[in-house]
Amino acid sequence: MEKTGAGVVVLSAKEAFEKLEKVGEGTYGKVYRAREKATGKIVALKKTRLHEDQDGVPPTTLREVSILRMLSRDPHVVSLMDVKQGQNKEGKTVLYLVFEYMDTDLKKFIRSFDQPGQNIPPETIKSLMYQLCKGIAFCHGHGILHRDLKPHNLLMDRKTMMLKIADLGLARAFTVPIKKYTHEILTLWYRAPEVLLGATHYSMAVDIWSVGCIFAELVTRRALFPGDSELQQLLHIFRLLGTPNEEVWPGVSKLKDWHEYPQWNSQSLSTAVPGLEELGLDLLSQMLEYEPSKRISAKKAMEHAYFDDLDKRNL
Amino acid sequence: MAEEESPSVMPKVITFLSSLLERVAESNDHNQQHQKISVFHGLTRPNISIHSYLERIFKYANCSPSCFVVAYVYLDRFTQRQPSLPINTFNVHRLLITSVMVAAKFMDDMYYNNAYYAKVGGITKIEMNFLELDFLFGLGFHLNVTPGTFQAYCVNLQREMLLIQQPLNFADSTLNLGKSLKAHLCFNEDESSHQKQQQLAV
Repeated sequence: MEKTGAGVVVLSAKEAFEKLEKVGEGTYGKVYRAREKATGKIVALKKTRLHEDQDGVPPTTLREVSILRMLSRDPHVVSLMDVKQGQNKEGKTVLYLVFEYMDTDLKKFIRSFDQPGQNIPPETIKSLMYQLCKGIAFCHGHGILHRDLKPHNLLMDRKTMMLKIADLGLARAFTVPIKKYTHEILTLWYRAPEVLLGATHYSMAVDIWSVGCIFAELVTRRALFPGDSELQQLLHIFRLLGTPNEEVWPGVSKLKDWHEYPQWNSQSLSTAVPGLEELGLDLLSQMLEYEPSKRISAKKAMEHAYFDDLDKRNL
Repeated sequence: MAEEESPSVMPKVITFLSSLLERVAESNDHNQQHQKISVFHGLTRPNISIHSYLERIFKYANCSPSCFVVAYVYLDRFTQRQPSLPINTFNVHRLLITSVMVAAKFMDDMYYNNAYYAKVGGITKIEMNFLELDFLFGLGFHLNVTPGTFQAYCVNLQREMLLIQQPLNFADSTLNLGKSLKAHLCFNEDESSHQKQQQLAV
């Protein structure tokens, strides 16, 4: 317990919360389901170890806290309620990020439909996709690229079927001139081809590619491009969408990691994503455009005819 | 996407920023009532000038040029949020090394760690870590900078260039914020304009 200059008593994380169970573990620390003692409210506590000797506050934590402070007011972005400083048993400084608690994520939700022939209802897919596009449009509208969109980073409330974007540790502001971006981002399966080919300046389109991959996965319950290396990932993409060339994607052969690849013709998306309605396939094809500047934006995706019959009042 | 800036423009930014900070720090030295001592406060004034210190950071930190403008934004936000901790000659060096380091961490994908910045800044790594945490909580983790804000602060640095070329009356040249007696760096930013941002983002 400490007193601030204004005489207000501030409780430490240990005093303010009761840890209930560990629900996950990340690069920099553990995530707990916890109860706020004062209100009884259930929260998620993300504990961040500070590597005190060398690194200080991890950049992922810096970005996540800063970006969520700005984006948390959107219903489709997870709410960061507080940041607290504490100490662990060894007396080392620890940061606790206090989030609203969500009971599942999209990865677990997809896995829960594990019986053969047990598909996610099309109207549920449509609702989840609309919420995802809405959340991403909000991020992009505020100059933020997520850069690590995947089912595991999309939290859900099973009761309300509300979806929220989380884990903005790799997110970044894309609007101020900076050095080249790293291409060591994003889980392979959801990684855009321009990133795989070594582009070091990229845009909102990298997130839209990930959204497209997630869309297909909701329908088939399997990853669309499950590569186990950067090369295999590219080959998965090329087999379905055809090997790109200067005609379909001007400038592709000038990208840093471009090589001569096997030549494949594009397949119909309906073969890879059977069961998706015509309008859904049209939206998906626009999300999986090779040329980043031609890829549909999140805002435009929300206006696509695929969502016309969706009741958007509570979304 | 925004293109990389050429490093050749940096020395100008260094000159303008150091000139502005020198004026603000000296002005606040003359005006010491209601000023708190903080972790950023040195026991004595560092011997190295603000200009030389900034040049040193530029030489060794290798962060993108924008980081220095963003660091300037952070310093202004910090002083606005912590009115009892204005920039003066006792704390300006520590505030500078911390703000540049935080800007580099937030902005760049490739950056040096705290231990390296501590060496560049002439402090211990333990102190660097304490300064970082204090700075972040002092800023309320408010690290994002919109293009509108970025441009406004660039314009302010260009105004500083004019001041260097034709020095004004000292009293006129300190930028005051509201009714505050303490010299601040800039002005209240409007973070709400996102139209400009979209133009710049493409």
